[in-house]
Formats: sequence, C-alpha cells, structure tokens
Amino acid sequence: MPVTEREQLAATARAAGLHLTPKDVSDLLPAWKRYLGLVEQLRAAMTPEDWDDVG
Amino acid sequence: MTSAEPLTAAPLVEIARSLRQRRVSPLELVDAYSRRIEAASNLHAFITLPGERARQAARRAETRLARGEAGALLGVPIAVKDLFATRAIRTTAGSRILKDWVPSRDAAAVGRLRAAGAIIFGKTNLHEFAYGVSNANPWWGVARNPHDPTRSPGGSSGGSAIAVVAGLCAGALGSDTGGSIRIPAALCGCVGLKPTFGAIPLEGAIPLGWSLDHVGPLARTVGDVGLLLDVLSGLDAGRRARRASTHGLRVGLLKGPIVQKVQPRVSHQVEAAAAALRRRGLKVREITIPEMEWTVATQLVTLRAEASAVHRRWIRTRPRAYGADVRTRLQLGTLVGGADYVLAQRMRGRLRAAIGRIFEEVDVLLLPTTPITAPVVGDRTVRWRAGDEPVDGALVRLTAPFNLTGLPALSVPFGQADGLPVGVQVVGPWMNEARVLAVGRLIEELAEA
Repeated sequence: MPVTEREQLAATARAAGLHLTPKDVSDLLPAWKRYLGLVEQLRAAMTPEDWDDVG
Repeated sequence: MTSAEPLTAAPLVEIARSLRQRRVSPLELVDAYSRRIEAASNLHAFITLPGERARQAARRAETRLARGEAGALLGVPIAVKDLFATRAIRTTAGSRILKDWVPSRDAAAVGRLRAAGAIIFGKTNLHEFAYGVSNANPWWGVARNPHDPTRSPGGSSGGSAIAVVAGLCAGALGSDTGGSIRIPAALCGCVGLKPTFGAIPLEGAIPLGWSLDHVGPLARTVGDVGLLLDVLSGLDAGRRARRASTHGLRVGLLKGPIVQKVQPRVSHQVEAAAAALRRRGLKVREITIPEMEWTVATQLVTLRAEASAVHRRWIRTRPRAYGADVRTRLQLGTLVGGADYVLAQRMRGRLRAAIGRIFEEVDVLLLPTTPITAPVVGDRTVRWRAGDEPVDGALVRLTAPFNLTGLPALSVPFGQADGLPVGVQVVGPWMNEARVLAVGRLIEELAEA
C-alpha cells in the first residue's frame, strides 16, 4: 500500500498508464499537490443544494 | 509608389487603404516587413519566416489590385500563430513533435484570411502546443517582449503580439484558451480580441481544450481588430461597432477579491480608464462577482483534463518529446478524475449564471487584462502581501473567466506602468462583439488623449 504522497502519486500515475522516472515524480509532485488543494476548495465551495440533483 | 517603411507600423486599415489606392505595392510592403523581421530576430517572434512564398503571394496580389479587384485584406500581410494549419507551410504548434508537419489544407480561419486577399505572412512563435503563457519555447526560442527583451511577451500567442507591436506584420491571428490572445496583447501593448466561443471556426487549429479554445485577431488598433473579426467570422460586428453609440452605456467596474491582488500601477490605469469613460457619458458603477474566486481552480481542472485528452497518446508514448513544463501539465491532466472534471463543470455553470445576471445590470464589464505588467523571463512567482502566486496563475486569473463562459473579451492598451504597457479588458454579453469593440474604441481614443 502506498503511504507517502509521492508513492501515492507514482501509483496513480502507473494506473493511468504513465511511465514516470523518479525525477518525473519529483517534478509532478508540487503540481499534483496544488491540484488536489484546488479540487478540495471546489468541493468545499459547493453547497449541499448544489448536490441535490446528483443522487 | 512611396516607400513602404513608414507604413509598416501603421494601422491595418490604413495599410489596406494605401494598397487599394496603389500608394504602396504588396511586394514593397512584404520586403519592408521582411527587413524588419531580420532586424528584430532577437525577439524570436517567428518560427517560420514568410520567405519567398510571401513574395509570390504579394506579386499575385499586385496583379489583382492592378485589375481593380476588391478584397478587405487584398495584399495585406497577416502573420499566423503556428497553431493553425497552413497549406504547404510547415505547422509546428511550437513543438518538436510536429516539427516537420506540412499540412495539405488550411485551417478554416486561415482560409478566410486568404479568401479576403491576405498574404499569409509567416508563422509566429507560441508556447509549446499553446499550453502555457510564458512563451519560453524550448524548441524555437524564448520569445521576448519588444518593450524590454529581458521580459516575457506573455503567451501563448506571444509571437503574434510581438509581430504586431514591433511592426513585423499588419495584423496577426491568435488563439485563446485561458487568455492567450489578451495576455500577450496586454503585456506587449496591442489590441487583442477573444470573440464569443465559436464565432470564428476552430477547424484546423490544433486543439488544447475543446470547450475553452477560441480563435481571434491581434492588431494595432480596435478598428483593425474589428475588420479582422468581420473577415474571420463572416459577421459584421466590426462594421457595426464603428457606428455604435456608447453614450449612456452602463459599465461594471469589477471589484472584489479577484482584483485585490493587482499591481497598484495597473489598478491605477484601469481606474483612470473608468474615470475617463464616466467623463464621456458612460455610467460606471462598481460590481462584484464572488463566483469568480473559483476561476483558477475551475479552469485548471477543465484544461488539465481536456488537454491531456488531446495528447493522450503522445504523453504516454513520447513524454520526452515535450518540454518540461508542458510535459508536467499533461501528465497531471491524465490523473484528473471524471468526478473532478464534472465538479469543475458544475462550478463553471455557476460562474456562467453569475456573470449572466450581471449583464442584466450593466452593458459591459471593465477590469485589468492582467494583474501584472510583463514579468522578467524566467520569473515563476509573483509576490503579493497576501502571499505568493505562480506567474502563470496570476496571468490567467482575470482572463480565464471569459474562456469558461465563452463571452467576448477585448484587451486594449491604456497607458503604462513603469514603462511597460497596461491592458484594460472590456467584456460583453454573448455575441455582442459590436458593443465591446465600440467601448474599446472609445478607450483607445481616451488613451491617446
């Protein structure tokens, strides 16, 4: 089981069919963390009524 | 015939008129521009130079002009961002992957330029695959700002903006997915229009984000951009804008958190433009659109996913064929989940509804095009009191909302800050380019005053 963010990213990338070198993972990690932060903000910004028609 | 040299930096409409009146020949003009391109080679505005093919087109245009043929752009040299397919002319998209691609057909927009008589005048530099706003292209040269070559011209249509501002063509074609026409127009000091989504066909432009991509012109005046828009769209917004009255129009000056992080001297110019409009009889009021706070997140998720869908094969099989920044963005995009993409589209709907409501209260929006003037080449971070912001994020923060909503948005130069150009942005309702251009024209007039 991947435990660190870095391992998690490498595992996710492998699952998506990417072949990343350790340097690729290092280059991608800051962008990946920023991405996760922005998505979290979007999720938080959606009020419950925004989700009413989903389920 | 007079010398073409003084005309090279003239407005496109004046160049077209001089050609029709046979005061200058297309060949003289092409040769004058070619000399200027050579002298400005340090700016890396072009990937493929106009060359002999442009001279041949100039000779054909000369024959047609001599026969008295008409054409809105007959004999006018127009530079084309190297993202657009051009028949028999190499089209690289600023990449190494497509370095040898010679299309057999023109993109639709290029075809419309040719049909109006334009000379396709070289292919301009861009951020690789248009995926970035620095225009620091690792394969074709780092494009440089004509006002200060230590600074970035912005991108991704940076080469087109440089060519317009440095007098290397009469006008240029660009594309805009998050601000790629308006950002370089603002940082270099020319006019750039992103029309309503779909107003100019995208066919033959190498896609970046299908739901965000727009085609549009860059030129030295609002009138020039209006003429190019009419040719490219087949509509008449540019012509209508020339007759439209702006008196009494309601202008919404954007305030709120999204414009809090703006360089004070940029803010000062936007406020000055608003004050000048008020003096000319427009009704200016301050407005806020809180939903714009989510622009960067919404744009990022949408674009990362869409661009990686475009490049899904190459990013897996040839990752080393991309420059480092574009490779990282594309790899990140392959990790965007479907649920995240849907979340971003739902937020996009909220943004679209919020801005739509604002246009029930005002006729146009006014805001800075970019929060900063041209950054130094290689700068990656903007330092604000409230914290650091990536340069590329800052540059798209005020332009991307109108890619997400598809609304027409124009950048017009208005003064300078520390010797560098400042662009103000005018945004209008869906398909109302005429109103946007009319207000832009007035701002241009006020800037000259």
